[in-house]
Amino acid sequence: MLKNSSSKGRPGLFRQPLSQKIRWSVRLKTYALAHLHSLQGSFLRIWETPIASSLTILVVAIALALPASFHALIQNARLPIEALQTTSQISLFLKPEITNEAARRLTEKLGGFPLILGTQLLTKEDGLRELIAYSGFADALSALHGNPLPAVILVRPRMTDAAAVTLMLNELRRLSEADHVQFDDEWLKKLRAVLAIAERCIAAFSILLGFGVVFIVGNTIRLELQSRREEIAVNKMLGATDHFIRRPFIHSGFWYAFLGALMAWLVANLLILGIQSPANELAELYGSPYRLAYLDLRGTALLMGSAIVLGIVGAIVVVNHFLKDLEPL
Amino acid sequence: MAPMKRLVSIRPIPIASVSGKKIQAMIEFDNVSKRYPDSGEALSEVNFSLQRGELAFLTGHSGAGKTTLLRLIAALERPSRGDIFLEGTSIKGLQKRQIPFLRRKLGLIFQDYRLLNHLSVYDNVALPLEIMGHHPDDISRRVRAALDKVGLLKKEKRLPLALSGGEQQRVGIARAIVHKPPLILADEPTGNLDPDLAEEIMRMFRDFNDVGVTLLIASHDQQLVQRFSRRTLRLDHGKLTEGGLNDAEE
Repeated sequence: MLKNSSSKGRPGLFRQPLSQKIRWSVRLKTYALAHLHSLQGSFLRIWETPIASSLTILVVAIALALPASFHALIQNARLPIEALQTTSQISLFLKPEITNEAARRLTEKLGGFPLILGTQLLTKEDGLRELIAYSGFADALSALHGNPLPAVILVRPRMTDAAAVTLMLNELRRLSEADHVQFDDEWLKKLRAVLAIAERCIAAFSILLGFGVVFIVGNTIRLELQSRREEIAVNKMLGATDHFIRRPFIHSGFWYAFLGALMAWLVANLLILGIQSPANELAELYGSPYRLAYLDLRGTALLMGSAIVLGIVGAIVVVNHFLKDLEPL
Repeated sequence: MAPMKRLVSIRPIPIASVSGKKIQAMIEFDNVSKRYPDSGEALSEVNFSLQRGELAFLTGHSGAGKTTLLRLIAALERPSRGDIFLEGTSIKGLQKRQIPFLRRKLGLIFQDYRLLNHLSVYDNVALPLEIMGHHPDDISRRVRAALDKVGLLKKEKRLPLALSGGEQQRVGIARAIVHKPPLILADEPTGNLDPDLAEEIMRMFRDFNDVGVTLLIASHDQQLVQRFSRRTLRLDHGKLTEGGLNDAEE
């Protein structure tokens, strides 16, 4: 028991690590085993207190389900909005002196370009007829001398991105027949701006709710710490490091967050499932091929990853505070 | 038997060996005082040293500072003044993260056992080894050896509360020796036990001492202490009034 003799003036038994003779591979294996054991133990503790634990998990789930669902909805809204752009058209107003014959020739010429899906000519007469038919100003308009409306060529571009559209607009503006070129995407820009604001709001919300997750998990673990105060004190007296004490609680934090995130993921996807059929009907009415998508892999990874980090942070903060309180033990 | 044994078990004083090197004591108190904010001075200017392989009793009325003295050795409390050395290592000089490793060299025994009542006897005794990161196979071998030594091998699956007081204390002792510490500190280990059980526990301590373990046992039971006729440190209102000097120094 007392093999070390005191004759060499060596630093003393009390400074030597006790387990120095154990090989590192064995120590690593033992360490991994201890972690696994603790992970399992934490899960069992949650399992054995189903009511208290499921309350925590549910609150975590709700806190996470809100941003997850919003994220899924925005992600779904983005696709059809981007798709709307490709169905937009460019109005090419021709100079008043251009004859209908020349306009018709230009329409055909433009229709032949590979980047243009289709063209349609609205002559001055077409325009007037439409205005009379739809505006209700028939009397006022018939009082006019001559036709003040320009001929318009409606161009449906085959578009891939915003840069291509800009390029095409510039080309059309350079035509000698062109008086004015208009690409009606203002409302699209507005919609995108609204979407961007919504995304910012969700990000801010997510941060707040993320703090919520830290506090919920932290508070649950604080209660657990209090009920295991004696056990922790005994462990410390027997030489447990802070790391050893922290380990099972970090694992509890992991489980609360992971199970909460799993539930939030389910809730978000159930929400999408719930609105899927009316949304798809709507898309069909617009002749759009888009269908509502579930939370994608990136969103799922973000949800799980951030939840687990937040749960573990909550646990560490609370245990460290508790250990500080316990000092000098 | 006592005088003979004593000559063998207590080593010569550490002041200076022939080679001129100082041999360090197991425990050395250097002018240690401990003051609590609300209850005043629990220990004042305590000086003593305990050699390797010694078994000493710590006596005194209740509130004399026995528990405080033991807690200071295990760094469960910090001294207000002075310093404590374990084999020459200053406890004051230890960093916070080194303290757990100091405690792993100690075996602590308490009057109220401080067992974890939701864990089996086996798991209670295994705790120090789990804390130290031993392999499960190694743990099971050592735990059984420790339980065998205290005669509780057959009750390893029981919960502590299903055992008698004496048995619970033996579990506490098994937990204190399972990692073979060089120093055992016992705080009123027989305080809750009847005289026969107390005697039995004391004999167990003497056996540990026979194989070289250093023990410091706090007890207010004068008769028991006298029966074992070992070095006795007496505390009175926080002052060491007796036994402060080593036998050979006296």
